[in-house]
Amino acid sequence: MAVLPQQVIKPARRVIRDPILAITLVVIVLFVGVSIILPIFAMVRESLSEQGLSLFSRYLSETSYQTIISNTVILGLAVATLGTLIGFLFAYVQVKVRVPFKRFMHILALVPIISPPFALASALIILFGRNGMILRGIFGTRCLWGSGRTCNDIYGLDGLTIVLALSLFTVAYLNLKGMLEALDPALDEAATNLGGSKWHIFRTVTVPMLVPGIASSFLLLFVEAIADLGNPLVLGGNYEVLATRIYISVIGMYDTTAAAVLSVVLLVPSLTVFIVQRYWISRATVVSVTGKPSGTPQQITHPLVCLPLFVLVMAVCLLIILLYATIFVGAFTNVLGVDNTFTLKNFDFVINGYGSEAMVDTTTLSALATPLAGIIGMIIAFLVVRKSFAGRAALDFAAMLGIAVPGTILGIGYLLMFNNDIQIMLPGIGPVTLIPKLTGGRAIFAGAAAIVLVYVVRSVPAALRSGVALLTQIDPAIEEASTSLGANSEQTFRHITLPLIRPAFLSGLIFAFARSMTTISAIVFLTTPQTRIMTAQILNEVENGRFGNAFAYCVILILIVLLTIGILYAAVGSTSGADRGLEGGA
Amino acid sequence: MAATESLVLNDVTKIFQQRGGAGVVKAVDRVSLTIRKGEFVTLLGPSGCGKTTTLRLIAGFEMPSSGRIVLDGTDITYQPPNKRDMAMVFQSYALFPHMNVFDNVAYGLRIRKLSRSDIQTRVENALALVGLSGLGNRKPNQLSGGQQQRVALARALVMEPQVLLFDEPLSNLDAKLRVQMRGEIHALQRRLNITSVYVTHDQVEAMALSDRIVVMNAGRIEQIGTPDEIYRRPNTRFVADFIGRANFIDTTVVQAQGERVTVELFGTRVELQSNGRSVKPGERQTAVVRPEGLKLRADPTLEQVLIEQAMYLGSEIEYIVRAGDQRLVVVDSDPRTSQIFPEGETVGLDIIGEAVHLLPPEETSARA
Ligand SMILES: Nc1ncnc2c1ncn2[C@@H]1O[C@H](COP(=O)(O)OP(=O)(O)OP(=O)(O)O)[C@@H](O)[C@H]1O
Ligand SMILES: [Mg+2]
Repeated sequence: MAVLPQQVIKPARRVIRDPILAITLVVIVLFVGVSIILPIFAMVRESLSEQGLSLFSRYLSETSYQTIISNTVILGLAVATLGTLIGFLFAYVQVKVRVPFKRFMHILALVPIISPPFALASALIILFGRNGMILRGIFGTRCLWGSGRTCNDIYGLDGLTIVLALSLFTVAYLNLKGMLEALDPALDEAATNLGGSKWHIFRTVTVPMLVPGIASSFLLLFVEAIADLGNPLVLGGNYEVLATRIYISVIGMYDTTAAAVLSVVLLVPSLTVFIVQRYWISRATVVSVTGKPSGTPQQITHPLVCLPLFVLVMAVCLLIILLYATIFVGAFTNVLGVDNTFTLKNFDFVINGYGSEAMVDTTTLSALATPLAGIIGMIIAFLVVRKSFAGRAALDFAAMLGIAVPGTILGIGYLLMFNNDIQIMLPGIGPVTLIPKLTGGRAIFAGAAAIVLVYVVRSVPAALRSGVALLTQIDPAIEEASTSLGANSEQTFRHITLPLIRPAFLSGLIFAFARSMTTISAIVFLTTPQTRIMTAQILNEVENGRFGNAFAYCVILILIVLLTIGILYAAVGSTSGADRGLEGGA
Repeated sequence: MAATESLVLNDVTKIFQQRGGAGVVKAVDRVSLTIRKGEFVTLLGPSGCGKTTTLRLIAGFEMPSSGRIVLDGTDITYQPPNKRDMAMVFQSYALFPHMNVFDNVAYGLRIRKLSRSDIQTRVENALALVGLSGLGNRKPNQLSGGQQQRVALARALVMEPQVLLFDEPLSNLDAKLRVQMRGEIHALQRRLNITSVYVTHDQVEAMALSDRIVVMNAGRIEQIGTPDEIYRRPNTRFVADFIGRANFIDTTVVQAQGERVTVELFGTRVELQSNGRSVKPGERQTAVVRPEGLKLRADPTLEQVLIEQAMYLGSEIEYIVRAGDQRLVVVDSDPRTSQIFPEGETVGLDIIGEAVHLLPPEETSARA
């Protein structure tokens, strides 16, 4: 046997061993760096300019700005509280209480996922506004309570809290439903055997076990609520929040420095809460839900418990139905509440008229962004779960920033970063454009590239999380078996990993499309006269009081999303295309 | 020699950095090993001794921190796992759950872009080999544990690899099936003559299957040898203890003449082979005596021992006896022909010379 020299292996060997992986990693890191990190960096840099720094001290000391800041926090807390409460109510009734119409309740809890911004707020105004069909029409008043100077109408904190809680509670519902289902029923049984009453069990067993889930839902809703732009814009009234202030700074005053400074002020609580939620609370959540459920879950049947819960859930369901019905009816009505005659002119406007371009543009760009977001999400999930490399946690975190950072802030970042060509000077060659101008007039693809990029960035986190969740449940030996049989990284990912995480991929795609179609805050600064986006058009119609057109937009948007979900299910959900693809390729 | 050696591990070390940089684990510590063509070698050792890591180094899933791995004269230390002409059978089977049996077995051949008809014949042959003909359309979850194991085996065999790797392939099966599959793997390997490296912590499995056994402990190789060598002539106290059961008895060398050594055990003089080691009269040594090397007889001329425990196990009787200040295990493997002694009785202890083996001196002094 030949004596071979003892040698220490350098890390570079790892990369050379798997070039496909290395290239993928570089591409992904570049993508995350350019589309997420650079814009945020540009925004922070702008806020730290000389002018920005002086604005900081002004904003933090002036009472009008202090009010805006406290408004934002109060709204966040109120929405998080109400939304988590509704989510918990739905989840608890769904899992632990014996009531009829469970399927119906479940579906209604999912409906708000595809609510276009402004849709619920506008419907609420039509019904409960100062001239609302219910408030004015049935109760003959303009105020929810009080009158004259003390009149409290639907505009402001109360209306906003209701609309945002209804739009966002789905997150809390799904989160808590999963936890409740995973709670070991043996635990309940054990407590019952020890002689505890149902109420006692609820207080001492169920709730403590759910605390991490409740906290996590609360924080998620808080982040989403303080980031929301659309609802405060139409339903805020005098109640101004940071997101709307940022919007006005850019759109009304063209003051991007002020916007950047306010963005940093908004970014601090958003990121803090996000980090707490992600790295502290959700860790506790995982720990408490690992045991395999055994035994049959016990359900509460006592009428004194069932009936009030049932009534409460049904009341929320009916409110949701009422709001969506208003949207649909409003779309077919001249001026709902004033001139209730049937008309198709709203649809004519959207489909054949001014709106058709927006409809086509939005759908096309969303359809472009959806597969990109799905694939990128799955690839990052794969890298994060299966591969060990320096900066793995950082990559995961950076990708998650796409959703942790409020959309408005991301939009400003894009404006600041990509409003000019990004060039480097090369000696002898002259300036070379690395990234062409993406936003504003004369932008590449009339700004469409930036919008697609934002859509992708906003959708990747959801796909990433569902991918990670599924991947960690799959035995890594399955992928190693593929490698051992001669497949390279790319073949293994395509033939084995992707088919196995198809449910996560599908939900990632659906979420990406729904999110792209309905997002407003992130793209509101990026639309150009040549690239129209439906949500921005809806805002325009609502601001001008043309609710009929806005509702028609909403209805069409919902239909497009539903249709696409159907198509995605048919394409991704059923076939076992992986093995076939392999056979075809062989 | 060079023509017959297939796989060589040369001074291979694997150090794992613990997560968070807290510390390092030397999972494999300067392992050298030469495996011949067609040989069946088992890595045997307690949990955490580095068996799986060694196997994964051979497969290429891990890269050694230092050292070399050579396959058929080619250095494959840095070769990625998918380029190595090896196939692995996993403990969890690792079947592709979204593919049927046929597609599972065909997977590697399709990656190699073989023709459709070639694939068809080879997969069918492989399935026939493991006794699964006709089940090609089943999904893995429609198979029993044993059948899943066969699919995993067929999937590896169909590649006709130079080396087959097994990581505790039978540990998820129930005891009966385990014995049956063990026999089938043994027969298949001998028939196809594929070089195999097999990881297990079950010594019976290792004994039954292997041409040679590599006993590992804490990342190091303790001993390499045929099952018989490992059992009858363990190099270390650890090996003697891990493989089968062993009595360790301190002894004095009485006489040493070339290969023939006489030692005194409980007053009885026993003659044994030195196995090439130099031993001098008067030296203290540790002798290893297997339980079946001790016999109990109602003979007052022998060393008298007290029976503390007697367990009737059907095919054998196991005694725990006290001899002086030492406890010994004695197994009588043919209770039909010999007398059965009750607990509490005092009987004579006979020692069979061929069953006594002296541990190397460093083992005697350092670890005793
Ligand atoms: N990826 C890893 N990172 C850090 N330490 C590891 C890693 N893999 C293995 N180890 C450590 O290396 C040592 C050897 O592990 P290995 O899996 O090879 O043991 P084994 O002999 O196969 O044990 P078992 O019989 O339990 O499977 C153990 O201490 C283990 O904790
Ligand atoms: Mg192991």
